[in-house]
Amino acid sequence: MALDEVTGLFKGLGVTFRTMLKGNVTTQYPHEKEAPPTRARGVIALKEENCTVCMLCARQCPDWCIYIEGHKEKRPPRREGGKPRTVNALDRFDIDYALCMYCGICVEVCPFDALFWSPEFEYSEPRIADLLHDKEKLGEWMETVPDPLPLEVGAEKKK
Amino acid sequence: MTAVTDRQRLAYVNTQASEARVNVELQTEDMTLNLGPQHPATHGTLRVVAKLDGEQVVDADVVCGYMHRGYEKLTEVRTYPQVTTLINRIDWLSSFANEVPFILAAEKLMEIEAPPRAQYIRTLFFEMARIANIGLFLGEMALQVGALTPAFYAFRDREFVLNQIEAATGGRFHPNYDRLGGLKDDLPKGWIAETQAVMKRIREFCDELEGLVAGNIIFERRCRGVGVIPAEIGKAFGVSGANIRASGVDWDLRRDEASPLVWKDLDWKVWTHPDGDSFARYWVRLQEVRESTFMVDQMLEGLPAGSIQAKVPRIIKVPAGEAWVHTENPLGEMGFYIVSQGGLGPFRCKIRSASFNNVSVLPWLLKGTYVPDIITILASLYFILGDIDR
Repeated sequence: MALDEVTGLFKGLGVTFRTMLKGNVTTQYPHEKEAPPTRARGVIALKEENCTVCMLCARQCPDWCIYIEGHKEKRPPRREGGKPRTVNALDRFDIDYALCMYCGICVEVCPFDALFWSPEFEYSEPRIADLLHDKEKLGEWMETVPDPLPLEVGAEKKK
Repeated sequence: MTAVTDRQRLAYVNTQASEARVNVELQTEDMTLNLGPQHPATHGTLRVVAKLDGEQVVDADVVCGYMHRGYEKLTEVRTYPQVTTLINRIDWLSSFANEVPFILAAEKLMEIEAPPRAQYIRTLFFEMARIANIGLFLGEMALQVGALTPAFYAFRDREFVLNQIEAATGGRFHPNYDRLGGLKDDLPKGWIAETQAVMKRIREFCDELEGLVAGNIIFERRCRGVGVIPAEIGKAFGVSGANIRASGVDWDLRRDEASPLVWKDLDWKVWTHPDGDSFARYWVRLQEVRESTFMVDQMLEGLPAGSIQAKVPRIIKVPAGEAWVHTENPLGEMGFYIVSQGGLGPFRCKIRSASFNNVSVLPWLLKGTYVPDIITILASLYFILGDIDR
């Protein structure tokens, strides 16, 4: 064995020794938790009162995992003597998270800001069929939706 | 010994030598070794059928397609924004780099160009995807040779890069961050400073691995002179990326191809190695990761201010025509050939992925090697199964 071969081995051992002194980087997940970043696409939350059953999200979804049903409802007129208004009421809004690809197209196309991303991620189920979540469950996740982050220097504000 | 048997022996040597260098002292029967489709060294479902004579490979055949998902067909029934989220999954370790050539090809057809800030951020994430992808290779190649520690180091430091990608795009592995004419969102506040710290850390990681793996005598003896791809053979098989640069071919699409991305504004160099063996492929990739960190630093400093989205219609229809864009992805040349007929989605989309051509050299390369070297050669070629089968 030549000398440089031996020094190569010891150099490698030096690297592992220094790493040993640096301390642990592993997070023991169920016992200690790391907060995911604010923008993380964890789960889609639904603000029910904003939804107008326009079906844009269901149509744009690449794997068709959103199920929407609605009906028309008469509401009293805004002004005295006016015509009664017709509004769309939401009966069913289900997202099948077993199919969802977490692409975020539905959140982006929603014209009335009814869908939001939340970094919440702890909603695994033992049975795959239980991953179909209804609008009550999606509404509960609204509480975990964070405010949008301030942008980096040089960024233009969105109109 | 009579003359007849001598002649017989000579005839045997001639037939065998034409196929491979074969041990002729014992007339052994060929054995077929099935490597995969579930072998851990193929990190996916690649099957290599090797015909062995003793310890030597006489003939090898690569069987792929176990993970074929039909992306070229799937793109035909989806709109352009939906396609980006699909093609993230082609090469899942550097997802962002897959989106870029597709979006550039669609933008070429629409004759729009993203603003300079968007192009900078695109190139930035392209290089970060390269660091995340090849950084993992640096540890994983050592794992295939038998060293366990570098793999853990690679996973540890790749995590920092992925955290930065997730903080800005929202997706850890599948960013889906590119849009036609721009990007989904601008960078969050404080991201640049954090990324600069991460890049420093990645350079330290490269130094660590240079000491731990590249300078290690056991690693060198397993890799030097093993799996040599001569430049001519590599070119003939369409090998691209770091694999062909390790054979001494100075070919890099980031530099050679005119592109709206900003590599031309940066100060960097293309690394090559004359040997063409497994060690050369490792060494070239190691230098590339380090070079990429410097490129990211330059882009963070020179990030122009302004908008990140060009004006596009709300419902995107791409005019009829054909466009071909290829870029230098972490695994090699990746290209998209889009045929549009003016609809919401592509009419036909041909995807040229790097790994498919890179593994096609394997039957040539594995002939005459020994069984333990199959694994190091497979590891050093560095393919992603999703990239082979699409």
